Amino acid sequence: MRRTILVVLAALAVVVALGAAVVAANGDQSTVTRPRLERSLTTTFSNLYVHKAALQGRTLAPASLHAQAMCDKAGAENKDVGPGGDWNCLMSWTDPEVPMPPEGYGKFELNVHSNDCYTAGGPSKLTGFLTMTDTRGKVVSNPVFEFDGCFDPDGDNTPTGVVFPSLLAIASTTITPDADGRAGLQVTCGSGDQGCAGSIAVAAGDTELGTVHFDLAEESTGTLPLPAALPAGAKETTFSVTSTTGAGPTSPVTLPVQR
Amino acid sequence: MSATTNAPVATAGTTPGARTRPGLVAPLRWEIRKLRAQLRAKAVLIGALVLPVVVVVVIHGQSRPPKDTLFGRFATVNGFALALLILGFAAQWVLPLLTAVVAGDIFAGEDQHGTWKTVLTRSTSRARLFWAKTLTAAGFAAIVLAVLAASTIASSVLIVGHEPLTGLSGQTIPAAEALRLVAVSWATMLPPMLGFTCLAILLSVWSRNPAVGIAGPVVIGMVMQLVGALGGVEAVRPFLLSTPFEAWHGLLADPRFTGPLLDGLLTSAVWCALSLTAAFTLLRRRDITGG
Repeated sequence: MRRTILVVLAALAVVVALGAAVVAANGDQSTVTRPRLERSLTTTFSNLYVHKAALQGRTLAPASLHAQAMCDKAGAENKDVGPGGDWNCLMSWTDPEVPMPPEGYGKFELNVHSNDCYTAGGPSKLTGFLTMTDTRGKVVSNPVFEFDGCFDPDGDNTPTGVVFPSLLAIASTTITPDADGRAGLQVTCGSGDQGCAGSIAVAAGDTELGTVHFDLAEESTGTLPLPAALPAGAKETTFSVTSTTGAGPTSPVTLPVQR
Repeated sequence: MSATTNAPVATAGTTPGARTRPGLVAPLRWEIRKLRAQLRAKAVLIGALVLPVVVVVVIHGQSRPPKDTLFGRFATVNGFALALLILGFAAQWVLPLLTAVVAGDIFAGEDQHGTWKTVLTRSTSRARLFWAKTLTAAGFAAIVLAVLAASTIASSVLIVGHEPLTGLSGQTIPAAEALRLVAVSWATMLPPMLGFTCLAILLSVWSRNPAVGIAGPVVIGMVMQLVGALGGVEAVRPFLLSTPFEAWHGLLADPRFTGPLLDGLLTSAVWCALSLTAAFTLLRRRDITGG
């Protein structure tokens, strides 16, 4: 019995030592990389999108979509390599019947496994919901709502060079001033290339309150103080975003004031 | 010159000598005969034939497809997808278990029954006996895989249907091509399965205990699955015997890729060679006079 335990322990020690040596020698040489994911995601999505269009009675060619993707793992600071459920891909494609939003892309969330396969889910406003109705009136599952794909671990790993701007969004739903009329505005900067920078012009009713500048890293949130105190009788505030880096809401956003 | 031409004639002429020292065929025939008499082996084969049909019927009856596994998304509506879903599941522990049931017992069983002395008094060498047992175990692995694959593919396609399959690059694969790819995918399970056969033989020889020989490869296989799924230690993936079980993914992508299949073949071969060498050395050096 003692001999058995000793042999098992020795074997385990050898395995652990070998594993540690291999890991130390190779570093984080994961086959899951940003270029491979970007290429695979666009190919898979294009094929499935054409399939969806066929279910709707439309004929498209995968190449005519000109799908492009920019993938990012876990925020700006982290290296875009390795498996995980924290991959985000921004993807644009051309379909005359489904125009892209002003920022020019839809955001897909990916769960990538170490075996080079992934599950991707897209934005419903662009890709539709779980089920759809085909030309014969039958309810079928929507091929692009959520889909699986795998890529070649030895595939092309040169960067695709596709870059999309970050999208600034106003996260606050109301403006709540304190006793002095001071208030803050919550904004988020989504995945994208350079983060978000620019200015927001603030107005309360007809009164211009001035502008506030912002400069946020991608995938971060910030609270911007309003440039001046809100007038006592103000019912709503209007924010007009001018982006110098990244994209923002194209029309002014109006929020109610809550006291 | 005449000596070299005479040499092969001389060996070919020694058929009476070959009869006194039997080659590989006689022990092989005995091992197969022992295996055919074994209830456990028969039960495994019948299980491999019948259980896939049950699994196919149950999954087909589900209202929600098992989406968290590859091809699970279409498994309730597409027979090819269901056959591949079952393949992914079988590779996790079923295939190592199926081969270990025979390979893990084939040497240790002689210890269990105390029959080493008996089999070695037959005029055969340890080496010949070793290869006969190894070939029997490998042959059983191939047969049980073929039975499981045929049963799974046939029942999936007949019960669920044979619509065109959506591949791993979103491409649509016509039914005939899908059937071929599903069959080839199942066939690519053979190298890693034989790797587990060799591992089971090593454990069987070393532990002299059928329980270790059968359960060991399954546990080792699951540990390898776990390590292979971890992020950060992916550098060890090519060395794991569980990785070749996933190499078939490339066949269902477009463009198709076969790099992982070739790597998997090499990995399985190295595991098998190392396990068999260790097992053979252990068996050769063993003192069997005690019974």
